[in-house]
Amino acid sequence: MTGTTDPEEALRDRISADSLTSRRDYLRVMTTVSGGLLVGSVAVSAGVLHRHGDAEAAEVPELRVADRLARGQAVLFNYPGEHDRAMAVKLADDTVVGYSTVCTHLACGVLWKEHRGEEGELYCPCHEGSFDIRTGAVTGGPPPRGLPKVLMVERADGSVWAVGTAFSDESVRHAACRQLGAIRPGTTVPSCPSGGGN
Amino acid sequence: MTFPSAEPPHWSRPGSDEPRLNRPVPERYPQIRPTSGYADPRVVHSGPGPGAGTEQEPERSAVLSARLVIVLSVVAGQLWALNVGVDAWMQGRTGTAWWCTGFEALSFVIALGAWWLGPRDR
Repeated sequence: MTGTTDPEEALRDRISADSLTSRRDYLRVMTTVSGGLLVGSVAVSAGVLHRHGDAEAAEVPELRVADRLARGQAVLFNYPGEHDRAMAVKLADDTVVGYSTVCTHLACGVLWKEHRGEEGELYCPCHEGSFDIRTGAVTGGPPPRGLPKVLMVERADGSVWAVGTAFSDESVRHAACRQLGAIRPGTTVPSCPSGGGN
Repeated sequence: MTFPSAEPPHWSRPGSDEPRLNRPVPERYPQIRPTSGYADPRVVHSGPGPGAGTEQEPERSAVLSARLVIVLSVVAGQLWALNVGVDAWMQGRTGTAWWCTGFEALSFVIALGAWWLGPRDR
């Protein structure tokens, strides 16, 4: 070997040139990552993430979102919390539907596209995710879950009201029962599962 | 194309103008050995064997690799469970989310055990 005269110094040089992360280090790092994932999972289950519709049902009054809504027209509002962005759309058959406008993929704003699909659809321009306008279910793109719903009613005078919420992919009946259970604990409704839908 | 002399032009000559930079690789980089990359940097006296840095205890090395594979598999499973748990919680299925947390805890115990197994290789 040439280039270095002192063998001990050469040995030190060679060892320092070796891989800085050994398998033992990697094992330790990945075990720590495993612990981190456990902590993250506990945080998720304990409710650290914001979820549309988490506001206590009893605290959220019905919200008048429009005096009148024409077919194909959409209106934006915040419900149930002031940071919960939502949209109501009146479809061609006069059904009024409401959804959170926060995409379930990466939280971009979802848009109403009347001329996409058969009845129009909700479209996220960030990664081209799309949602069914009748159910909120994912019809294309990367979103992992359907959009959370806002339960809408249209009164006789034509005004449109937001009256409740449903989580991603949750049925309207289940959501209504859940919120009824929160407002009036112990109430028994024949069409609801026991416990008010919880 | 022809050249006026037998010598190739300066710009096409391989290597460097400085002879010391044209020496064979082992001479230019004495730190690089055929065994480089295998040694633990904390080992300063590697002892007898076929060469400094080579594996002295292949079984121990295999067990270390196996433990690493187990922990990596566990972490992959945990990532999947976290994905399922987040989806479940967002859909209002809190019970499923807690089951996923239980799975995460069990996985962490396995990873911790795999790490703890080898007192000499932590």
